[in-house]
Amino acid sequence: MYNNQIKISLKINGQENTVHAPPDISALALIRDILKLKGSKEGCGIGECGACTILVDGKSVNACIMLAAQLDGREVLTVEGLNNGEKLSIEQNAFLENHAVQCGFCSSGLLMSTHALLSENPNPDQNDIRKAISGNLCRCTGYHHIVKAVGEAAKQSAGDENNE
Amino acid sequence: MKEAMTTSIGKSIKKIDAVEKLTGKPVFCADFGFENSLVLKVLRSPYAHALINSIDTEMALKISGVKGVLTAVDIPGKNVLGIINKDQPLLAENKVRCIGEPVALIAAENEEAAEKAMAAISVSYEELPAVFSAEESLKENAPVIHEKGNLLAKKTIARGNADQEFQNCAAVIENTYTTSHIEHVYLEPDAGAGYVNDDGLLVVYASTQNPHYDLKEIISLLELDEQQVRVIQTATGGGFGSRLDLNLAGFVALALYHLKQSVRLIYSREEVFLATAKRHPLKITMKTGADKTGKLLAIKARILCDTGAYGSYGIAVAARSAVHSAGPYSVEHVDVESSCVYTNNPFSGAMRGFGAPQVAFAYESQMDLLADALKIDPLEIRQVNALQNGSVTITGQKLEESVGIGNCIEAIRSHYKDACQNQFIKNTRPYQKRGIGIGCMLYGIGNTGTKNPASARIEIDQEGTITVFTGCADIGQGSTTIFTQIAAEVLGVTTDHIKICTADTKFTPNAGATSASRQTYISGNAIKQAADKMADTLLDQAASHLNADKANLILTNEYAVITNNPDKKVSFSDLAVSLHKKEDDTCWHGFFDPQTTPLDENGQGAPYATYAFACQLAIVSVDTLTGEVNVEKIVAAHDVGKAIHPEQVKGQICGGIAMGLGFALMEEFEPGKTISMKDYHIPTSIDIPDIEPIIIESNEPSGPFGAKGVGEPALIPTSPAILNALNNALGERIYSLPANLERVLEACIKSGNFEPKENDNE
Repeated sequence: MYNNQIKISLKINGQENTVHAPPDISALALIRDILKLKGSKEGCGIGECGACTILVDGKSVNACIMLAAQLDGREVLTVEGLNNGEKLSIEQNAFLENHAVQCGFCSSGLLMSTHALLSENPNPDQNDIRKAISGNLCRCTGYHHIVKAVGEAAKQSAGDENNE
Repeated sequence: MKEAMTTSIGKSIKKIDAVEKLTGKPVFCADFGFENSLVLKVLRSPYAHALINSIDTEMALKISGVKGVLTAVDIPGKNVLGIINKDQPLLAENKVRCIGEPVALIAAENEEAAEKAMAAISVSYEELPAVFSAEESLKENAPVIHEKGNLLAKKTIARGNADQEFQNCAAVIENTYTTSHIEHVYLEPDAGAGYVNDDGLLVVYASTQNPHYDLKEIISLLELDEQQVRVIQTATGGGFGSRLDLNLAGFVALALYHLKQSVRLIYSREEVFLATAKRHPLKITMKTGADKTGKLLAIKARILCDTGAYGSYGIAVAARSAVHSAGPYSVEHVDVESSCVYTNNPFSGAMRGFGAPQVAFAYESQMDLLADALKIDPLEIRQVNALQNGSVTITGQKLEESVGIGNCIEAIRSHYKDACQNQFIKNTRPYQKRGIGIGCMLYGIGNTGTKNPASARIEIDQEGTITVFTGCADIGQGSTTIFTQIAAEVLGVTTDHIKICTADTKFTPNAGATSASRQTYISGNAIKQAADKMADTLLDQAASHLNADKANLILTNEYAVITNNPDKKVSFSDLAVSLHKKEDDTCWHGFFDPQTTPLDENGQGAPYATYAFACQLAIVSVDTLTGEVNVEKIVAAHDVGKAIHPEQVKGQICGGIAMGLGFALMEEFEPGKTISMKDYHIPTSIDIPDIEPIIIESNEPSGPFGAKGVGEPALIPTSPAILNALNNALGERIYSLPANLERVLEACIKSGNFEPKENDNE
């Protein structure tokens, strides 16, 4: 539709990147289709389900209702940026150990909301956790094991900080 | 004793595919594609009921980038789908029966060209009168939806003489209950892809619950042989029944057949809502009678299931809703009829429970009403009537073992007592009412009175690597993980020594559908049988290697070992090498089909080989000025036979409760109105209460290590428990689901609770 492409420069998962993209695509389309990072999912396309949650400058957002152009000059973190090679992040490991994954389609988004929560509030209580992930729909788990996993991740990361 | 000795069974090991999902690997169908894939789009009917006079595709085909527009005439084989009854075309022929029915399939080089082609296809429709309620559809002058008539099926259960027995009852309760269309809302929108390989094989990838069924339908549509098509299940983001239909693999295959080029088809959420099955709305009129001790004497029910435009799993829903209409209780006099009726609504199909959640809402409401009429405690009336080992069900089936409903009820008792004691103490606001409710259920594992076998295979290679092959589609519930536990337990190895290959029609045997809570029990048994055969061969081989008596050998840690002389042992790899050398079989097959008998014309028979049971307690509070319901807590006791993976069992229970809560309080798909997630709400993390799952293990002798199933049972007791709690809070019962804000507020007003009052609970 548009022959004109715009230039978008962003730092994604620690790497500087410049891409040319149509001006009307979503941040999610940029991440999935142009940068080929498939961890962020499209579950609804209208910002209801949270499967596309990414962090932009540390804040969690729904990538499906954000324009790609809005990522210009920003720092983006997706699920692929959490683990360090084989070594899972604290959140990923807590989800694994606490059986918080069923179908796994919502997992990426939940991990990003968890990451955002723990950076803002290292000691969340049950209510904080439930509120922080309330924008991430899950149809499989009833959130029980997810809430537990987020709590464990918080404990773990608090523990890590104490060690430092 | 036996329990203490298990090495894998009963252990909550890490889920096999969790790491790749947690690290964002491209495992779902929309995450990967094949080079130069064409984009597929489906043109759908805007009319609920119309004749198609013509479809003109000429203009669409002229659009640059459009590679093909396919309609019914392009289907070389039988253009009719359905796992139970065949009545649904892949692409409409001369008539459409619901909004959203597929009419044409477009293949184009990109989305834009495909969209343009959609708009350029000219379909000449002639609208017909339509009917949107099952009752209207059965009337004499109703529009005819299918030539053979609008009644798809009627299932009857007749036993004793219910009408006469009601006269002997101390209390008789009769009410009508209704439920809504429900959308599955699995998080992953349906997706499919495929390519044609160098040998001309059509390779179809799809998110599906039954790849072997998909294969069967595709070869029938395309008039091909089994060897010409391969269906591979990709990671599947939930299913809950909807992906038992051929949601999009048929379109992928049809395009591959004609265009010989790789393709992909990804539904938007709106298309998922428009195109896929819904839960059947049921209208249930139920009459229940008991003597003065609360003992049930007779039930009568008339059930209408709206299956919409097509049958899908409708006949199963009619059968299951009838068979489950008395719940987990003994009752001698039964008169039940369940009819499945075509309408011009979206087609209804399988959804977690197949009619059992709908009838549970009715029979458990009736139990509370009887308890109230007879001044009996709601928990007691359930225990009085609970099935036991040796009881006979309403289909005349004697249940010999593993009837755990009594234990489930007992497990809830102390929580129930505590809740009753705290009911009024804990109220803090004057406009808040707290209520306590119980919901019980039974659920037959596997298909209803029909064959539903699973096959499995296990192999050992020369290095001693063991691989399980199963056609079972893991859609998130974790079947793949527990199958490795079953094989590992039998073979005396840890689960990381078991490789598993699943749900690929080229390599795996048919395991049937991931539905009816059947895979742990049925495929689990097939895998156990194959592993048992392998263990037997390994022991034979080891006996001759070690010159020992087979009876004195055990398999442990990849060795066959002499029990009283552990130093004498031989490794699996050595045994495998010698088997391979001798050209002995290194591949073992397992097969299991549950022992059932079909239901006769009176609905008598043994439709299931085993049943799961459950009792849940719900504590709710209601804001009587707004109608807002807060579910505070749910305690859920589930008899699963044996929990092979306890945390996965709890995961099913908690997930089922969330879905049951949505069914009870908020979910309603309104055909023609509900478009997307903006107007269909499922529970969020804030809506879900504290859940306390309790696992009851009443060993099922025919199950793998005693296991039954839990997937659907988890959901079934929740809505009745919540609705009974609402009635307990307000003194006013709601007979239609969902009990949304409007209905609850109406109940608040009717019951006089809307009036601002001082806190009268204290």
